[in-house]
Amino acid sequence: MTSTDTLPVIGFAGMTHLGLNSAVGMAEKGFNVVCFDPDATLIGQLETGEMPVLEPDLPELAAKNKDRITYASDLSVLQQCDVLYVAPDVPVTDDGVSDLTDLDALLEKVIPAIRKDAVLVNLSQVPPGFTRARTRPGLNMFYQVETLIFGRAIERALYPERYIIGCPDPDAPLPDAFRKCLEAYDCPILPMRYESAELCKISINCCLVASISVANTLSELCEGIGADWSEIAPALKLDRRIGQYSYLSPGLGIGGSNLIRDLITVTRFAEETGSDASVIAAWIRNSAYRKEWALRTLHERVLSTMDDPLVAVLGLSYKENTHSTKNSPAFAMIENLHPYRVTAFDPVVKTSAAPHPAPIDAADPLDCAKGADVVCIMTPWDDFKSIDPAKLADAMAGKWVLDPYRVLDAKACAKAGLSYLTLGVSDA
Amino acid sequence: MLEHLNTDPTAPNRVVILGREGFVASTLAATLEAAGINHLALGHAELDLTAPAAGEQLAAALEETDTLVFVSAIAPSRDAAAMATNMRMVDSVVQAVSTRSVNHLVNISSDAIYEDAAHLVHEGLAPAPGSPHGAMHLAREILLTGAMKGAGVPLAHLRPSLLYGAADPHNGYGPNRYRRQAQAGETITLFGEGEEKRDHVAIEDVAALISQVIQHRSTGILNVATGTSRSFRECAELAVEIAGKGGVSGTPRQNPITHRHFDVTARLKAFPAFSFIDFDEGFRKSFNRVDS
Repeated sequence: MTSTDTLPVIGFAGMTHLGLNSAVGMAEKGFNVVCFDPDATLIGQLETGEMPVLEPDLPELAAKNKDRITYASDLSVLQQCDVLYVAPDVPVTDDGVSDLTDLDALLEKVIPAIRKDAVLVNLSQVPPGFTRARTRPGLNMFYQVETLIFGRAIERALYPERYIIGCPDPDAPLPDAFRKCLEAYDCPILPMRYESAELCKISINCCLVASISVANTLSELCEGIGADWSEIAPALKLDRRIGQYSYLSPGLGIGGSNLIRDLITVTRFAEETGSDASVIAAWIRNSAYRKEWALRTLHERVLSTMDDPLVAVLGLSYKENTHSTKNSPAFAMIENLHPYRVTAFDPVVKTSAAPHPAPIDAADPLDCAKGADVVCIMTPWDDFKSIDPAKLADAMAGKWVLDPYRVLDAKACAKAGLSYLTLGVSDA
Repeated sequence: MLEHLNTDPTAPNRVVILGREGFVASTLAATLEAAGINHLALGHAELDLTAPAAGEQLAAALEETDTLVFVSAIAPSRDAAAMATNMRMVDSVVQAVSTRSVNHLVNISSDAIYEDAAHLVHEGLAPAPGSPHGAMHLAREILLTGAMKGAGVPLAHLRPSLLYGAADPHNGYGPNRYRRQAQAGETITLFGEGEEKRDHVAIEDVAALISQVIQHRSTGILNVATGTSRSFRECAELAVEIAGKGGVSGTPRQNPITHRHFDVTARLKAFPAFSFIDFDEGFRKSFNRVDS
């Protein structure tokens, strides 16, 4: 049993993107951390400092705190844990539904291996009703809402804005070890019933999606009527009903499968319970439509106007600062460009991974743009911000630049003779 | 959305086209002819789809390796009588294919199956026809979908937007009528100020896209639209400009303004190398074809 003046030992089961970053963040806070994964090969890699995911500061903090981190694939190590977080990835099926098989399998594996007085906390996202259905007599089980952001996972692990905790009884005090763990972070703790916490995570994503959808819808209107979304968004941020922290940047649809998964969850529950979720369905459709902006624009401006065009794609990952290509806008575009020549460059993702019969590998951004009729900047990597539009224009054979995320300076592009196209504004 | 059963375009053994005299069918026949694709166009003289024995007669003419293009219709279908005739025609096709299976069926439907004031139109929209013509095409789609599923025949429904071309027989409100009026030096009278925007497709492009669907043995639904809509006034003024005579005038507006725009993403994905002719260029060509 943990004494009140010593820090509890925190365990993490499932060395996934979420589990690993959360564990390293917890070690940085001074806790002794146990990192368990059934995959002995993965554990061996982690012991040598090899990180399976790309995240800023992750390798450095893992190395800095190595004395406080125990990696293991042996279940017996879980006996040390006062609190065990379960955090495997929950895959999303092609139709947007969570596949909970792996999470259930891991729970069945670790529950018999923990101490009777240990606290079990599920950190993986689950649909409403999941946690209560897995409770059992004598098990101290909680659900903690996570809001991992790819590329900012460590930052989120170290500086959470709040903790949302699903509890068997939200009025009962949290177990000591779990409370100490949470109180190590200077943020509000919001205990609530399991179902509320499960739906709270989805509600956060729905609000996020609403902001994204507003930006996407209104920014396209800007393109049609000669307005500029970048002039409008700051005005919205000054509106106290909307707020300076609202997500108001247009993008290529709603990024990531987790948000879409939540929307689909809501529509499924609404169908089952007879409530109206038509606005959610509209968001899903709007996202799919807006995601294809680059493909449509490319066809309209370039592909339908010339023979044998060369398309240069800068950025292949789903977003900056990550190696992940799941839901990558670049991939979504490239897989529909098979009849055309495509050259590509990404700081991390190999060009050969692009879904194209013969993608042309490039050494750097300007090499990628060499001889291209159009350059599409599909991931807003910092590396691309330093591209000189004049040099880009010199390298290209054509003049078109598709830059949905406004990585380049529109005026500098125009000065260089480039035709610059971005979201939320008519042709610059 | 379309799914291609042939990854690479492959000419079928034969294409049987129903509705030889029609605007779409005759252009499709010419397109297939130019591409060297074996085809048989059946017209009213050889096969009256409304006749009691039409199903048997069509079955006797079909071979199992045929691709059948069903483009024959009484159009526009404005009343119950026309609806009944069009239903009789689809019944003949269903009877025929139930007797003699074919390799692929392509049904030429219409964008009239969508709600008149629809949002951005895409293949995922639930049909909500606001006209007898749209209801007729939707009924035909439903009947064919059920029958072809039972017969195991791959089926594609193509839903063209407004068509234009030199040989258009309908002379309905829009570019074809404007062309004739401008060439005659008449004044084109618009509904209101002609503000409504529509997506106008050249008949040659429709035929070319049908040919692609045939060769890819595609199944599913595809809207046939360019993705660019323009107002009736723009079309009328262009007609006057090309003809070098005539004029355009508005009238007091009787009905609310409705626009129609298409999301063409599904077509870009299905046929990424396909490009529609620019409307200005296509419209000018339709003048030239008439002149020649």
